This record gives sequence, C-alpha cells and structure tokens, in this order.
Amino acid sequence: MRRVGKPVFFIVLLLIVAVVALSFAGISTQYGDIKTTYIKGANDIRWGIDIRGGVDATFSPGDGYQATRTEMEAAEAVIKERLVSKNITDYEVYTDYDKNRIIVRFPWKEGETDFNPEQAIKELGETARLTFREGMEYDQTTGAPSGITAETIILEGRDVARASVGTTQQSSTSAQEVVVQLELNSEGAVKFEEATRRLAGSGVISIWMDEIMISYPTVQSVITGGLASISGGFDVKTAKSLADKINAGALPFKLEVDNYNSISPTLGENAKDAMVLAGLIAFAVIALFMVGFYRLPGLIAMIGLAGQVALIIASITGFFAPFSSFTLTLPGIAGIILSIGTGVDANVITSERIKEELRAGKTLDGAINSGCKRAFTAILDGNITIIIVAVILMGAFGPPRTFFGTLLRPFFFMFGPSTAGTIYSFGYTLLMGVIFNFIMSIYCTRMMIKSISGFPALRNKWLYGGEKA
Amino acid sequence: MTHINFTGNAKKYLILSIAIIAAIVVATVMIGPQLDIQFKGGMIVTYAYEGALDIESFKYTVQDLTVQEVSFQQSTDIATGRQTVVVAMPGTQTLNTDQMQELNQGILAGFPENNITTLSSSNVDPTMGTEFLTKSIVAVAVASALIVVFVAFRFRRIGGFSAGVMAVIALMHDVIVVYGVFVVFHMPINDNFIAVVLTILGYSVNDTIVIYDRIRENKRLMGLKAPLSELVNTSIHQSFRRSLNTTITTVLAMVVVTVVAYLYNVDSILSFSFPMILGLISGTYSSICIAGPLWVKWQQRKSATAAEA
Repeated sequence: MRRVGKPVFFIVLLLIVAVVALSFAGISTQYGDIKTTYIKGANDIRWGIDIRGGVDATFSPGDGYQATRTEMEAAEAVIKERLVSKNITDYEVYTDYDKNRIIVRFPWKEGETDFNPEQAIKELGETARLTFREGMEYDQTTGAPSGITAETIILEGRDVARASVGTTQQSSTSAQEVVVQLELNSEGAVKFEEATRRLAGSGVISIWMDEIMISYPTVQSVITGGLASISGGFDVKTAKSLADKINAGALPFKLEVDNYNSISPTLGENAKDAMVLAGLIAFAVIALFMVGFYRLPGLIAMIGLAGQVALIIASITGFFAPFSSFTLTLPGIAGIILSIGTGVDANVITSERIKEELRAGKTLDGAINSGCKRAFTAILDGNITIIIVAVILMGAFGPPRTFFGTLLRPFFFMFGPSTAGTIYSFGYTLLMGVIFNFIMSIYCTRMMIKSISGFPALRNKWLYGGEKA
Repeated sequence: MTHINFTGNAKKYLILSIAIIAAIVVATVMIGPQLDIQFKGGMIVTYAYEGALDIESFKYTVQDLTVQEVSFQQSTDIATGRQTVVVAMPGTQTLNTDQMQELNQGILAGFPENNITTLSSSNVDPTMGTEFLTKSIVAVAVASALIVVFVAFRFRRIGGFSAGVMAVIALMHDVIVVYGVFVVFHMPINDNFIAVVLTILGYSVNDTIVIYDRIRENKRLMGLKAPLSELVNTSIHQSFRRSLNTTITTVLAMVVVTVVAYLYNVDSILSFSFPMILGLISGTYSSICIAGPLWVKWQQRKSATAAEA
C-alpha cells in the first residue's frame, strides 16, 4: 500500500483554512478613502436583483414594428447611455435580435430610498432625442446645453438617414483610420451644408442625445451632398458605440415595456438574511450528524465541505480582483446548498464503504484504501449526471453567446435569451459546487484520512466506524 | 431492514406508486394546477404596511384605480413582524407603467398613516410567459434524454439501455410527485418548480446510480451464476445505509431552510425547499423500490422470452 505521509494532513488542512479565510475575508488595503482590493471576500459578492432589489424589464418596439438588427443595436445603445447617465453602472443588458427584445436588469443604487421603478423604466424606453448643435457650450453643473448651443439646433434625429463605422485613409500619413460615417437625408444635407459653410475651419458641431453630449467634432470643411465622417482617435468599438447612439435618434419606433418586475431592497435583504441563517444552521446540523455517525472520517468530511463552500464563494466573487464577479441570486444560494448535499453524499459513500470493509475484517489501512477505491465510480457517475443537469440549466437560462448557450443552441434555438436569469445562477453554483466537490471529496479528504490514519494514537478502528478495538 | 426483499415486493411498490400517481391525477382534475404569472402572464404586487390597515377601504381604493376585479391576500412575517398585502389581477391582465404609477400614488395618498411601500411588483406578458414554460419543459426533456444516454453508456455491462430507461421511469415518478406537491398545496408553478424538478432529476438519478454501481460491482464479484434478484437485493441492502444517510442529511438541510424561510415569510425560498423535501424522499424511494426491482422484472422477462425462443 502506498503510504501518505503524516505531514500531508496538516498541509491540506492549512491549505483549506487559507482558502476559507481568503475567500470569506478577502484581502484589501485602505489608504485614506481609497480601498484597493487584491483578493475579493464574501462582502464583494455581487448579489442579484432578487436579493438587493432592483428592476428587470423587457423592452420591445411598439405596435409590432419589425426592427432591423441595426435599429435594435441603436435602441440598446440608448438604454445603456441612459443607465449610465442615471449613475447606474452595474446593469445587465441583453438584446434578442430574433424576437426584437431588449432585456434590462439593474439594481437599486446604494442608499437610494425613494426610487420609482415605473418612472425609471418609462424614461429608459422613451424615444431618444438626437440633436446636432452649434458649438459646445454647456451648463457646468447639469451638463445640459446652454448659450448658443442651446439655441441653435442644426440637425435633428429625423434628418439622419444612417450612421455606420468605416475606415478612411489619412491624407498625411496614409494610414487607415476608423471613422463614423454619417449619411443624411436630402433635407438634412441642405441644413448641414449651410451650417458647415458657416463653421468650417474652427467651429464645433456637438452631438447630443437627450441632454447628454456624446461627441463634439470640429468642422474641417464644408460638407455638401449629405455624406460626412467623424474622425479622431476612434477604435472600432468606440466608433460603433457613437454610430449606434446617432442611429438611435433616428429610430422610427418607440420602445414599449410589456414585461417588468421590481423588487425592493428590504424584501431581498430579508431573504438573504434568512438564507445565510439557514445555511449556517444546516451546516451545523450536517456536521453533528456526520461526526456522530462517521466519527473521524465525518469530521474530515466537514473540513472538506468547508473548503468546498469557500471555493464556491471564490468562484462567485472571482477571487482575484481583476476577475469579474458572478451575480448570485436566491436560486444560486439554493444551488450552493444542493452541491453541499452532493458533497455530503460523496463523503457518506466513502465513509460507509470504509466502515463496511472494516466490519468485513480488513486492516485499517486496507479498509481505507479499498473503501476509497470502491466508492469512486459511484461518486463519479453521480456527479457527472448532476453536471449534465447544471450545464443544461446554464445553456437554457443563461444570457446568449455564453459558452453553454452556444453549445445547447440546437435544443433551445427557438427560444430567446433568458427570461429567468435567476435560474442561470442556480446552474452555475451547482456546476462549480460539483467540480469543487470532486477536488475536495476525491482528493483532499482522502489524503487527509490516509495521512491521519498514520498517527499511532488515531489508529483505533472505532474512530473509523469499526468495532471498538 | 436486512429482511426486506426489495425485488420480491416489486409488485407492492408498483401498486403504491401507481396509487400515488392516480391520486395526483385526481387532485389535478379536482383542484387544478395553478400556473404562476411567470408562465401564464399577469400582474401581482406586494405592498408592506405598518399599523392597522383598513382593508375594506384599501380594497376600494385599489379597485377604483385598477377597474378590474383584483384579489387581495394579507400576511404577517413571524420572524420580522412585517405586514404585507398582495394584490393580483385576474387572468393574464397586466398594468402598464403609467397605470402602475397611478395605482402606487393612489395608495400612498390614500393611506399616509400606514407608510405603505412596494416590496415587489411583477408584470408578465403572456407570450413571454408561455415561452418560458415551453423552454423549461424542453430543458427537462433534454436533461432526461442525456441522462438515459449517459447511464446506458456507463452501465453497458449490466444491460445499459434497460438500466437507463428504469432510471428515467424512477425520475418521472419523482417529477410527478413534485408536481403533485405544487398542486395539492396550491403553490403556483413557477421557475422554482423547474429548479426543483431539475434538482430532483440530478439527485434521484444519483441515487439510482449508486445502486446500479453496486450491482455492477457485485456482478463482477458474484459471477454470472448468481440469480439476478439476489444480486439486486444484495446490492440494494449494501447501499441502503448510504441511501438513507444521504437522504437524511439532505432532507435535514432542506427542513432547516424551509423552517427559516417560513419564519421569515420568504415565499421564493419556501416554494423551493418544501417540495424539495418530498421530492428527495420520493427520489430515494423510487431508486430503491422502483428502479432496481423493476429492472429485475425487465431482465427476467427478457431472459424468459429468450428461453422460449
């Protein structure tokens, strides 16, 4: 038999303790007001809107209008711009181009008390007002146009035929440059020609969406014929973003909301407290049961389970500061609890097998070895089936264009992107939980059992579920 | 426990299960399943209030603003003492954002001393609801199909396909039980139902697999001469403690969650954890009493027809 050294138990234990401490507490430094996070702790978990409260709304073009892909992209750009202007940066926006739907989810702002969700949803869906104005004077506090910029509107949304991303060759360096190409209709072309004639050389024409200035190009020359291009250090992404916003001003439809939910932060907080409390009690109850029933292997199983929970938390926060955090919803917490269930099961199977081998008269080392070996296939097959379920949940209810979403496209192609983002979180925590269960129950707890059984004081078969020696 | 002849009692278990399923069918016809607005579309708002609310006057105010006949349901959290009232529109009616704002403002203005706040509001378009439901059903079907394929592959040595089919019959048994819990306890069928069904799917098949795993192992140890029913009986007995203990721990955890969710009045958790408890128990029962014994019957019939030919 291959022996596992005595120090192994302490090394694995230390590693698990470290993982638990790090993933719960995190590491961050405070320098005055600036907090730098190196490793994210449980406090950095991004809670879903069902826990911290927020709004979930689905927008679609009104009156059954069949929007094109470009039009939907433009509409999405408007919603994003408005969310940012409302100081909401932690939003999720998905667009379903087949069904012409834009799904928006955003949480309540920290400390916000009198938020009016219906008003916010209405404002997000309103038709964007695009204007091209002379100069770039604006109010320093509100950011709204002022002076000549407020008075002189050169173009409006309906004067713009289309904006798109293109490239031109720069005349001086002959390098390729990304630009936003602007195509005006005939009425717009006339107005634009007049304005550019007046402003050519040094004047500025600023572009506004509602009360937000989105661009302020300098007029280089007179533009006739209604074809213009805006240049100035764009990359494809920033150019696309500006083109989308300009297109939004020319959208021939307004967005309607036929589906919206809002949850107050107090309701969610209550649910979160309840789940955390339930989780702690459940862990204690399972610990009592496991130690009472399986003694030493039961205790080690609980150490492994603590490690499993810590790894799941780490996979949700992203652990290292640069990794983005996963949104944890109520079903997500249920997924964690369930994966702990599979973790318990794996340990029950192993401990039960060890007990059985001991009662069949094997030596302690023989029993531990063959118990672990024989329990393996059952744990493997069981966990793989749960992984199948988790992957299907993620593919079916996740946002579009994720790995699992693409993988399962043959099955779910007729459905749009998720209408139940919360179930996605359940699939994610379950998948992560089962994978970490593998690491913990198959490797860590076994190494610990084999290592600890090397201590002469801990070789009593009774400690492993056998008869008293 | 060591005296139970699981394979011999196959008929009894089958009758018991059929009786339970029949009762659920009767309940469905009598009570009727209640689809959540997530699936059928509709509107539901939960308001929190303080002090004593004049419910008659509240009803009148809401009724006046919504025109439609709406339903009301009051409740109080045991743990936090918070009072809530749920307002729901009949059928698949929804309110648009303007109407919703009017309703909220009307209620705020009408009951200033109750400090009414909106806890949650939900408006679901019926077509999106139906789509969500069909998507969920497809998810369950795809998961079941993949499980059969996986089990058939992993247990090919003990007649994989029949084992896979039996595992799925046990699964369907559990899904029906979970569905029955929702019907009998008047719980609306929502995304939690789908989450429970998929969880039980994974859990129950895990249970069945542990038993099959033992059969697979014992077949190697006991050789081909051992009678099938004895092989299966021994395997079930050997893995019985494990089945029982795993179920006890998982059920205990879910009972804790249920009790806490009930005390805090967290419906979204309660409608997950409570059906889960019964689903878990059903999952263990179906693995021990249905999947194994029924599989023996299938194999015996197959060898009987083979012998006749």
